[in-house]
This record gives sequence, structure tokens and C-alpha cells, in this order.
Amino acid sequence: MSKAAVRSTGTDPSGPEQSGPDGGDPPRRSRRTGIRTGARQADHLAITRRRPWLLLTPAFIVLGVLLLWPMIRVVTLSFQDFGLRELVRGDAELVGLDNFTRVLTDRLLWQVALPNTLVFAAVCVVLTVGIGTLVALLLNQMTGVWRSLLLTAIMAAWAIPAVTGTYVWIYLFDARSGFLTGVLEYVGLVDTATTNLFTERLWFFAIATLNVVHHGFPFVAVTVLAGLMTVPKELMEAAEIDGAGPVKRFFFVTAPVLKPVFAVVTILSTIWDFKVFTQIYLMPGGDGANREVLNLGTWSYVSAMGQNQYGLGAAIAVLLTLLLLAVTVVYLRTLFKEEEL
Amino acid sequence: MHPTRGSRRAGTAALLVCFSVVAAACGGEDSEDDTAFGEDADATVRAEGETLDVWIMEGTNPDAGPFFEDVEAAFTEETGAELNVQFVPWGSAHDQFVNSIAGGTTPDVAEVGTTWTSEFADAGALVDMTGQVEGAGLDGTYVEGLVEAGTYEEGLYGVPWYAGVRSIVYRTDVFEAAGVEPPTTWEELVEVGTTLKEHDPEMIPFPVSNAAFPYLSFVWGAGGDVAELDGETWTATLDSPEALEGTQFYTDLALEHDLSTPAASTWDEAALRDAFAQGDAAMIVSGSWTPGSIIEANPDLEGKIGAFPIPGKDGGLAPSFLGGSHLGVFETAENPDLAWSFVRMMSTGEFAEQWGEESGFFPGTGELLEQIASEDDPLVAPFATQMNEAGASLPVTPLYGQIEGAQIIPAMLQSILSEKVTAEEGLGQANDEMNEIFGS
Repeated sequence: MSKAAVRSTGTDPSGPEQSGPDGGDPPRRSRRTGIRTGARQADHLAITRRRPWLLLTPAFIVLGVLLLWPMIRVVTLSFQDFGLRELVRGDAELVGLDNFTRVLTDRLLWQVALPNTLVFAAVCVVLTVGIGTLVALLLNQMTGVWRSLLLTAIMAAWAIPAVTGTYVWIYLFDARSGFLTGVLEYVGLVDTATTNLFTERLWFFAIATLNVVHHGFPFVAVTVLAGLMTVPKELMEAAEIDGAGPVKRFFFVTAPVLKPVFAVVTILSTIWDFKVFTQIYLMPGGDGANREVLNLGTWSYVSAMGQNQYGLGAAIAVLLTLLLLAVTVVYLRTLFKEEEL
Repeated sequence: MHPTRGSRRAGTAALLVCFSVVAAACGGEDSEDDTAFGEDADATVRAEGETLDVWIMEGTNPDAGPFFEDVEAAFTEETGAELNVQFVPWGSAHDQFVNSIAGGTTPDVAEVGTTWTSEFADAGALVDMTGQVEGAGLDGTYVEGLVEAGTYEEGLYGVPWYAGVRSIVYRTDVFEAAGVEPPTTWEELVEVGTTLKEHDPEMIPFPVSNAAFPYLSFVWGAGGDVAELDGETWTATLDSPEALEGTQFYTDLALEHDLSTPAASTWDEAALRDAFAQGDAAMIVSGSWTPGSIIEANPDLEGKIGAFPIPGKDGGLAPSFLGGSHLGVFETAENPDLAWSFVRMMSTGEFAEQWGEESGFFPGTGELLEQIASEDDPLVAPFATQMNEAGASLPVTPLYGQIEGAQIIPAMLQSILSEKVTAEEGLGQANDEMNEIFGS
């Protein structure tokens, strides 16, 4: 209603007096000054009306350049046969849905990449959020030096670049001389004379999970800790007086208060763990040499980027974005009731 | 938060975006303008005040700095122009080339890996130098395999600079202790390996990895090949009985004769060299340029390593991939004649010879190569023999770059070595995947 009123005053300079409450303000002021003609009033109106948009323009331009334009380009690319040659010459042939058909009919996608990604991401998210929360609770109980020490240790795990971290895990599990491989052999879980851990799908992903969770839990711990510090002391005391033990206090007081925090860390972890690339690619066989351990990231790299097929790569990127959007929307919907959104 | 998680992918995505923006920006412009050479390919170019930008791969020559100082002095003396050499690591070189091709920021001249030349030529990034090479009377002087790899649709886009070939590098002290001689047939290879294993069970006699180049020598050694050209299209031939025989033998070295270790099935060539340098392996298939770096990594091995050509099935030599580098002139070169005089200076005569000596690679001209083969250095001569008598090439088509990108051969070897498929099944799958890319 009010929007329609504003629009009508803008296009009809002769009748500002008939406008609704939004349009009514400037004419009142003009009457006060008493010198504005109808046309000048209209100019003034137009500027007032556009001011928010004018102020937002820089932000829109930045967003448009950084987000919208690349997105449009990626979508366009996904409908083209675009390789190195097209990159140099600048012309690309439209191929309709060919790229999408190729992606969606790839046996490796359905039998290997997708299941690997889904299971791996689910396990990693649960472990990352679970361990992160437990560590946050621990941190919340600690004080002084011990807390600083633990925080520093956690930050160190977080600060290690993914590449360095991955190589450390690879060395620890080296098939011939790795320390942890030795431990596993000692307890009789593997036989290095006949097995290479990295060629076994389960072991490969178990090691990758360790790596990813180790690198990801500090973020959750620190974020949840920040949330924990905002839980009102009175609530906890009241619950304690009512006879609630620590477990009950966590599930019935802390958790509901922290729901938004959990929502954020879970969504972020899900997105990160879905897109894991470095940690898989750098592991022995993870660069595509072992087809069993491909995930969406490495599969798309090997089948598109590694072969300079950028159109195909763009199609994969579009599908992955849609998938992540869907996951996020479904997750948010189930987490919050309609009115809370 | 997680700045590096998935950064490679993010990087690739960003790259893609950059490409597309740039491609859109250049789209429609006259990217067809041909970079033209002057009439006389032998003429001395004077170009005072100009600078020639050159990319050279890092690490080929451990002492490249002083070498290029000499080159720069000679180049400036001859042409009056400055030389700006940038060193690019092999690992990221392909990405850097693609990036700069997309952005139109390629150097004037660059060292290009032989398997990339046809790919960049196909993309229209390199200049055809056939006329220059003929004009300077250099046609026929370069090593044949390298010329073949640098030729795309009848034009020479990469001038052979240096070449390398793989042979078997072995521990002379270990062989001596076990009382064995370098094998000359496949049967002997197994016997030698078995004896070494009995003599020292801790040492891996012959690690079998999933790396493509060491493996291919055994396919070629059995008389097989990767693919054959039929008219215009390539067809994969890994399903041939010869390829099966070679593959079966190679993987059986690990699975049947136990001359390897399960860990080796995920090793790339660098990991093979590491294992050898650490004293864990007795023999590895390795490049002519590697003994130097192995000794550098472990000086204790000085005087304890030797080389012998990869044996053929019943004697003779098994062909080995002839790799190396070309020098290419890019379309963006401002002064193509100046660029050509640099290419000529580097690929012939004194500097080519010096580069070969310092890097452990062989010069790209036949004359210099023969000279080296005749000098009887135990760590050089076997490689020179291998290169002269049994150098093999892979399909010269940009499509083979895609096959490498898709990791078809390593994936096949990995699944055979971890006994998930038989050699025959693995070869069949790999063959199908290759044919899909070849479009045949």
C-alpha cells in the first residue's frame, strides 16, 4: 500500500497531496518553506525516494562485480564447450545441457564420488561439532593458565595450513615407516607386508577424517565457547536448584540457548566438509590415481579441470552449489520453526 | 576460519572465473593477428633498450643462476637487449601457463614441457617456427623424437632444447654384495630381484609404483603400445596381447615375485627416488637427470650407484619415454625475431652443451648427443644408449594431455596392484576410458 502510494506520487507531480503517509511528509515540509513549485517538489521527492538506493549503490556494484557477474559467467560456461582453445580465442560453442548430461551420467559420480562425499561429510560434521562442543564445555569449566594453555593448543591445530597438516598425517600413517601404522600393526589391525592403508577405501577416509576433524574442531570449540559464556548464570542456578544434573542442564538449558550457534557451526562445517579437496588430493592416491577414494572435489578436478574442460567444471560447480543450497535450506527449516526464521 | 580448506578447489574456481571474465573481455577482438618473423632467420637482431621475458623451469639445472648470467651477457652482447629470466617450478608451471595464456600475459619465450607443446599450440598460444628452423639451416639437426613431440598439424611449435630418458638406476654395492650383474632380459630381472631379496630381505629389490612412465617401458618392451594413429583419430591399444604381457609381468614383479612392497603402489616417481636415496630400494626406473639429485640427497651413495638400460623381454632394450623440454615463442612476443635469436642461442652450440652437462639432461641436437654417448661416464652412457637406441614417444595430441589429466594409467595400475582387478580387466577399462577421450 505505502509502496504503491510512493510510486504514484513520483509519477504524478500534480497530486502529491493525495498521497499516503510516506508521500505526505515532503509536501508538508514544502508548505512550511512555502517557496517550492509543484515540479521542484517532485524533484525533491524523487531524490528522497531514491536516496536509500543511491546509498546502497556502491555495495550493489561491489556485490555485482564480485558475486553476481562470476555466478552468471559460471552458469553461462556450464552450457558451453569451453576448453583451453576457447580461452585463448574467446569464442565458445553452446552445447545446451551436454555438460550436465555428461556429469549426471558418469558412473563414478553415483557409485563413488557422491557416496564418499555424503558419508564423509556426515561423519566429519558430527565428529567436528561433537568434539568441538565437548572441548568448549571443558574450556568453559577451566580457568586461568590451564584454559590459556588448552586454547593455545587448539589454536595451533587450527592455525596449521591444510597442506602442512595433511602431510603430517601422511607421514604418521606412512605405509612402511609411519608411527601410527606401527602402532596399528603392533595391536594387530594391519599387516604392512600385505596392505597399504592408503589403498583401502575405509582406512583412507578414516585418516582423512582424523585430519579434517582435527583441523575443524577448534573453530567449533571457540564459537561454542563464546556462546556458552553468554548463557545467563541465573538460568543455570535455577536449573541446579530444581535438581537438574549436568547432562540435563546441558540439554535443557544450554543447548536451547545455543541453538543459533549450533546452526551456524553445523552449516559452515557441512559446507566445508562437502567441499574438502586439499586434504584428499594430497593423500597418496587421492589425486585421482585411486578411483575408489574420489570425492566430489577431487572427481570434478580430475574429470574437468585436470583435462582443461572448463565447461564441464562449471556444470559441476553449478550442481554442487544447488546441492549445498538444498542441504542448507532443509537443515534450517528443520532446525527452526517457520516463525523463528 | 578455514582459509586453506578446499583452497585448491576455490583457487580453481577463481581461476575459472578469471578465465571467463578475461575470455569475455578479449572475445571478438582480433586474437588472430599473426606474430610475424622477419625474412632472415639467421640474421643478427639488434634491439637496444628492449627486454625479452623468458620463463625457465626451476630445478632442472641445480646451478641455473650462474648459467643464465652467462647467457644474459652473451645475449646482450649479441642483440643489445636485456634478458629477464623467471624461474617457474614444474609443479605449478602448467597452471601458470594456462593463467597467463588466458590473461594474455605470457612471456616472449618459455621452456615448455614436451607433452604440453601440442596442447598450447592447439590453443593458439604458440608461434609456428618451422620457417625459422629451416631458414637457419637447423632442420634435421634436432633429435627426432623431440621434433615429433614439438610438431602440431605440420608446424613446429616447440624447438627441441634438451631431452631426458629413463633407465634403471641401481645400487652397485648391493649388487656386488649379492653377487649379481645387471639383468639383460626380463627373466634375469626376476632372478636378480629374487637373489637380492634373499640376500637382504629388508631392502626392496624393485619397487613397482603406479607411475606411468616406468610402467610404459614394459608395455613397449613386450612390443605393445599405448595407442595408434589411424588416419586422423587415435585408438587405444592397451587391450592388445602384448600390452597385457608387459602389464602382467610388471605387476607380477610385485604381486607374484614379491620384489616390491604394498606401500610402493601409491608412490609417484619422486617417492621412488626418495626411497632409493634413503637406501630402501636396490633398483628403480629413473631419469637420466636424477643421479645427481639422489647423491645430493644422500651423499653416502656417492660411487655406489650405477645405471643400466631397461632390458627388453628377451634381451635388447625396452623403449623408454623420451621426455624433455622445448623452447616455444608465444603469440604475445613483441619482437619475434629477438625471441627467435634467443631460442637459437639456447638450443644449439655452446650453451646447449653446457646446460646438458650441468643438468644431466641431453642436448636436443643429434650431434651433441652422439658426442656424449661416446664419453664413457657410467652414470651417463647407459642413458645415452637408451635414448639413442630406444627412445619412445606418446601420442602427440592435446587429447593425450587429457588422458594424463584423468590419471587413467596410474588408476589402472593402482587397482591391479591392490588386486581389485586383474591385469586384463584393468587394461580393458583403461582402454575404454582412453578411447572415450580419443573419440574413437
